Amino acid sequence: MDKLKILLVDDEKRFLQTTQKLLAKLGYDVQTAEGGREALELLKSKTIHVVILDVKMPGMDGLATLKEIKQQYPLVEVIMLTGHATVESAVEGMQSGATDYLMKPEAPEVLIEKALAAFEKRQRIEEKIRMAQTRKFVKSPREIIRDASDTTLPT
Amino acid sequence: MKASRYTTIKRIILSAMILTPAIPFVLTLLIGFFYFDTSLENTTKSTIERIVRDHGRMIDTFLRERKNDLDWILRSNSYEKVIDPIHLKHLFQLLQKESGAFIDIGVFNEGGDHLAYVGPFSLEGKNYQVAPWFAEVMKKGIYVSDVFLGYRQVPHFIIALSRTIGEKKWIIRATIDTKLFNDLVEEVRIGLTGEAYLVNPNGIFQSQRRSSGFLMEKDLGFAVLPPATEKVQTFIPRGGTDNDYIYAITRLVEKDWTLVVRQEKADAFGALRSAGFRVMFIAVVGGILILTAALFLSRFIVTKIEILDKEKGALGQQLVRASRLAELGEMSAGFAHEINNPLQIMKNELALIQLVWKDVMGEFQLSENENTAQIEDCLNQIQLQINRCGEITQGILKFGRQSEPSPQALDLQSFIPDVVKMISKQAKVNDIDVKQHISKSVPLVYGDPGQLQQVLLNLLNNAMDAISVNHETAGGWIQIEATGVDNETVQISVSDNGCGIDEENQKRIFSPFFTTKPVGKGTGLGLSVCYGIVETMGGRMDCASRPGKGTTFLLNLPIFFKNNALLKVEA
Repeated sequence: MDKLKILLVDDEKRFLQTTQKLLAKLGYDVQTAEGGREALELLKSKTIHVVILDVKMPGMDGLATLKEIKQQYPLVEVIMLTGHATVESAVEGMQSGATDYLMKPEAPEVLIEKALAAFEKRQRIEEKIRMAQTRKFVKSPREIIRDASDTTLPT
Repeated sequence: MKASRYTTIKRIILSAMILTPAIPFVLTLLIGFFYFDTSLENTTKSTIERIVRDHGRMIDTFLRERKNDLDWILRSNSYEKVIDPIHLKHLFQLLQKESGAFIDIGVFNEGGDHLAYVGPFSLEGKNYQVAPWFAEVMKKGIYVSDVFLGYRQVPHFIIALSRTIGEKKWIIRATIDTKLFNDLVEEVRIGLTGEAYLVNPNGIFQSQRRSSGFLMEKDLGFAVLPPATEKVQTFIPRGGTDNDYIYAITRLVEKDWTLVVRQEKADAFGALRSAGFRVMFIAVVGGILILTAALFLSRFIVTKIEILDKEKGALGQQLVRASRLAELGEMSAGFAHEINNPLQIMKNELALIQLVWKDVMGEFQLSENENTAQIEDCLNQIQLQINRCGEITQGILKFGRQSEPSPQALDLQSFIPDVVKMISKQAKVNDIDVKQHISKSVPLVYGDPGQLQQVLLNLLNNAMDAISVNHETAGGWIQIEATGVDNETVQISVSDNGCGIDEENQKRIFSPFFTTKPVGKGTGLGLSVCYGIVETMGGRMDCASRPGKGTTFLLNLPIFFKNNALLKVEA
C-alpha cells in the first residue's frame, strides 16, 4: 500500500514550513507550494494523493487551482482550507470537486484526520478501478480495446 | 429659519385655500346678483311702460268720446233748439245717460254771452268774452281746457266746441266731473307706492296725486322728467335716495297733458333688496366658513408637516447610525478573517513545540518535575487562548455575515442550549439563573439557523438588561421554554423577572428605532429586526409584560414539513 503523500498550498511561508515539519515529525510525507501555479508544477513531477489548498491566495486563487487540479488529475483529493468563515466559498469548493474543507484555525490533528479520510477514499476508488479493469480483461479483450478510447474514470 | 419656513408654507396653503373657493364664490354671487338686478329692472320697466301705455289710451278714449258726444249734439241740433232751455235740458239728460262725467252744459253766442245753461250753478247771462278758453275755441273750433277755477271757484275743466252756419256761430260747452275723471286717472295701482297722475306742460297737476299733490298745484319733481312725447318713456333718476321713483311718461293724444306713472324704487326693487340681503348673508356666512376651514386645515397640515419633518429627521439620524453599525459589522468581519490566518500558524507552531518538547524530554531524559509541569501548563494555556481567539473570530464572522436566509429544519433540543451557551458567561457574571424547559417531543422548526440565533440572542440580551435594572446583584432568572402547540406551530417563550415594559411602550417595542435605552446604547433596531425575521419565517412574535414584574416574549414558529421546504425552495 502507498504511503500518504500530502501537498500543502498556502501563501504563508511560515505556515508551510511549520506544518511540513510538524507532519514530517508525525511521519507523513509533505510537499509544499506557495501558490496555485507552483502546486500544478509539482503535481506534474511528483505523486501526490491529497492536496490541502488555501482558498485565498494572491495570483491564482484556491478555487481556480482546485478546478485546474480536478481537470488534470481527477483522482487527486483536495481539501479546501479557508480563513473565511464563509461557508459559501467552502460549499463552492465542494461543488467543484473538493472532498472536504477546513476552517482556520484548525488543530493539526483534524487536518491529518481529514487528509487520511481523503486518502482512504482515493484508495477505495483506485481499488474499484483496478477491479473493473480486471473484470474487463477476463470478459473480452476486444471490448477493452474499444473502450480504452473513451473511458471516463469514476471520481 | 425653520419656523419661518412653516409660516411661509402655512401662508401659501392659507391663501390658496381662501382664494381658490372665494374667487368663484364671490364671482358667482356678483354675476347672479347682476343678472337678477338687470332682469328685475327690465321686468319692472316693461310692466310700468305697459301700464302707462294702456292707461294713456284709456284716458284718451274717454276724452275722445266726450268730444264726440258734444259734437253729436252740436251737429244734430239747430241753434234755435240748443238755446231753448227745455230742449237743452232734454239733450243734457241724453248726454248724462251716455256718460255721468258731464256736470253741466251751456250754449254761447260768438260774443261770449251765456245764452242757455243746464247744471247746478247759475251761470246764465254771464259773459265769457275774455275767458281764455273762449278765445281758444273761437280760434280752433274745439278746445279742452286745463283744470281751472272759473266763475264757480271750483276746480274743473271743460270741453268746448263751436259750429258755424252762414254768418251764425255758436259754442257749446260742457264741464267734466273732476272727481270722476280723477278716479279714472288715479285708479292705477302697482305695489304699495305705484301711482298715476296728469300734469300739463307747465307741471301743474291736472289730477290728484295719491302720495302728495293736489289739483292745480305745481309738481316740483316735474323738472327732472324728460319732455314727454306720445312714445312711452321710462326714466330712473340715477344716484338718488331710496325715496326716488321710477317714472314712465307719455303724452296724451287728445290733450297736451302728460300721464305720469311712477313707483318708489324701494318698492319696485324690493325683491332686489331682499335678494341683496340674502346674497350678503350667504357671502358673509360662506366667507366665514371658507376662512374657518382654511385656517383650520392649514394649521392642521402644517402641524402634520412639522411632525413628519421631525420624524424624518429622527429617522435619518437612526439610519445613519444603523448604516454605520452595518459598516462596523463588515469591517470587524474583515478583521476576524485576517486574524484567523495568524491563529492557524500559532496553532501549528504550538503543536510543533509540543512534539519537539516530547523529543527534548526523551533526549535529555528529563523526568517530570515542577518546571516541566509548568512548561506543559503554559503550553496548554496558550492552546486554550488560541482556541478562545478562534471562537471570538468565528462569532464575529457569523454576526457580520450578510447572506440570504437558507431555511432548514432546526432541532430546538440542541439549538436552544447552543444559543444559551453563548450568553452563559455573561449570565453567570450577573448572577442570573437561566432555566431551560425544552419539551422532549418538540418538533423540528423550519428557519434560518443564523437568524433564529439572532432572535434568541436578542431576546436573551434584552432579558439580561431588564434584569440588571431590577436585580442589581442577585435573584434574576430567565426561563426558556419550547413546546409544540398544534400540528403546525412550535412556541418558544423567553421570560424574565426584569423591570418589565409599561403599557405605553408595549405598543411600540416592535417599531424600528424605538428604544428606551439612553442615546448610543441601543439602536432600537433589535426587536424590529427580530419581528421581521420571525415574520419572514412565517411565524408570529408577541409580547406580554407587567411593569416591575417581568416580561415574556412568545415566538410561534412553523413546524418543518418536507413539502414546506420544497415550497420555499420553489418560491
